[in-house]
Amino acid sequence: MSTRSPAALWQSLLKQLWLPVLCVAVLLLATAGSTSFYFPPATDVLATLWRELLHGGLVGDLLFSLRNIALGLALATVVGVGAGLVIGEIDLLRQATGPLLDFARATPTVAFVPVIILTLGIGSGPKIFLIALGSLWPILLNTISGVHGINPAVHETARGYRIPWRLRLSKVVLPGALPQIFAGIRVALSIAVVLMVVSEIYGSPVGLGNFILQSGSGFAVPETWAGTVLIGILGYGLSVLLLAAEYLLLGWYHQRPPRARRPMSRPLSRSEAKT
Amino acid sequence: MAISTTDRRPTAPDRKRPARRTWRTRHTRAGNPGRRVLLMLQLATVLAVLLIWAALAAARLVSATALPGPAAVFGQFPQLFGDPVYWQAVGDTLNGAVTGFVAAAVIGVPLGLVTGTYAAAEQSSRLLVDVLRSFPVIALLPVFLLVLGSTPTMKTTVVLLACVFPVFLQAQYGARSVTPMIAETMDSYRVPRLLRFRKVILPSATPSVMTGLRLAATTSVLVAIGVEVLTTLPGIGHEVVQAQQGGAAARAYAYIVTAGAIGYSINLLSQFAERRLLRWRPPTHTD
Repeated sequence: MSTRSPAALWQSLLKQLWLPVLCVAVLLLATAGSTSFYFPPATDVLATLWRELLHGGLVGDLLFSLRNIALGLALATVVGVGAGLVIGEIDLLRQATGPLLDFARATPTVAFVPVIILTLGIGSGPKIFLIALGSLWPILLNTISGVHGINPAVHETARGYRIPWRLRLSKVVLPGALPQIFAGIRVALSIAVVLMVVSEIYGSPVGLGNFILQSGSGFAVPETWAGTVLIGILGYGLSVLLLAAEYLLLGWYHQRPPRARRPMSRPLSRSEAKT
Repeated sequence: MAISTTDRRPTAPDRKRPARRTWRTRHTRAGNPGRRVLLMLQLATVLAVLLIWAALAAARLVSATALPGPAAVFGQFPQLFGDPVYWQAVGDTLNGAVTGFVAAAVIGVPLGLVTGTYAAAEQSSRLLVDVLRSFPVIALLPVFLLVLGSTPTMKTTVVLLACVFPVFLQAQYGARSVTPMIAETMDSYRVPRLLRFRKVILPSATPSVMTGLRLAATTSVLVAIGVEVLTTLPGIGHEVVQAQQGGAAARAYAYIVTAGAIGYSINLLSQFAERRLLRWRPPTHTD
């Protein structure tokens, strides 16, 4: 990437940007002067968003939602990676738990939302629990398959040299599984955002989900759109942040020349294919 | 720090989940248990988890309304199976999920294949799709409630929007997976476009397309239930809310287990379909 000339870089940027810019322009033009109740002018929506952020309580909502996502995801990562390393290392355990974990992952966590929130309350604790519960499975399963996918020769070499388990874990198993772990976290992030929204719409005094619900049921259409747009920005921003973290941690992995020459210009964003 | 010698890029569809492939079909390592032993082990694990669940419920760490015991939950099923409401709810959820899923496939697969075939189209749509894809579709619910109202069409639309991106992206990725050598060969032989599409692009994209469809199938049920939880639309999600609000936590859990069973069967079914469809392919990726 870095070897490309600035001109080529500009060209590629232009190629990628024209359609989004066109879409935004069309959106702005099509809704300009719109008198439709449900589709206010896009400029109005943006102005509302700006106003709510500066003067309304939207920043508080945003922080509440962000905090829940961060804590839930962190909890799921710690538990998922920890358990995944153990299960992935012990072959018998991995095979024995296989169907059970598949079933757990296939269970839609959103169905737990009413049960948990109705019994444990509308505070942030149950929401963090729900986010962690939903995010756990992709991280856990990807860690297991990441550990298991490490070349057996690498494993046997580490065993053959009697490398102590602690060193083996930190220098062989964890780095080897890290690409897959990150793929799992990426999937988990999108689940976490969905669960954040659902749990806040279902029952919450604060949060972005609550904001759009309240605005919507109060027929405050620009506010509803503004909140929805903010959630979109949040989702995209978090995924970009995660990609940045991945590049920092996994530079060594992505800089390796791909063995097979495949069109791999976008390997990162594709890995939802994993789960 | 290159640990493994093989290139395990997380994305290439043919390297997907090596673990799953291995645990059933290819036991080369010494000391692996036989099939029957493995099955016993898996059953034992399920039993162990049920026992832990029962112990947790009996210990009353959390109230019985938050976590009823497994006996109470599974005891609901004989009654539910005879109840038309149960089957109606399952039908409603599946109806919304399947309709949205099919619509997403009909839109996403051709669009993905076409944009994947032409580099310019892929580049142009990249950023837009990246932004739209990371959008949590369920957040559109309040807007949709305003615009479309609380109707089954609304549920289908939300499912469609949630499913179309994985399908589209995997189809696009599949169409791009034609190796340059083959692409250049087609160019130099001037293979007609339609023939090229049918005989080269479509077959090489199929594995990736199937992955996309499998992803979308799971998503469709998840989103349908999510919509039902948050609105008054009938379905499994709605029944969970009803049961829990009525204090019948065991029934709510029974519906959740049902949802899990549906998701699990969809997984098994799509794996089966994938294996049947891709039988011509060397079994590098079926799982």
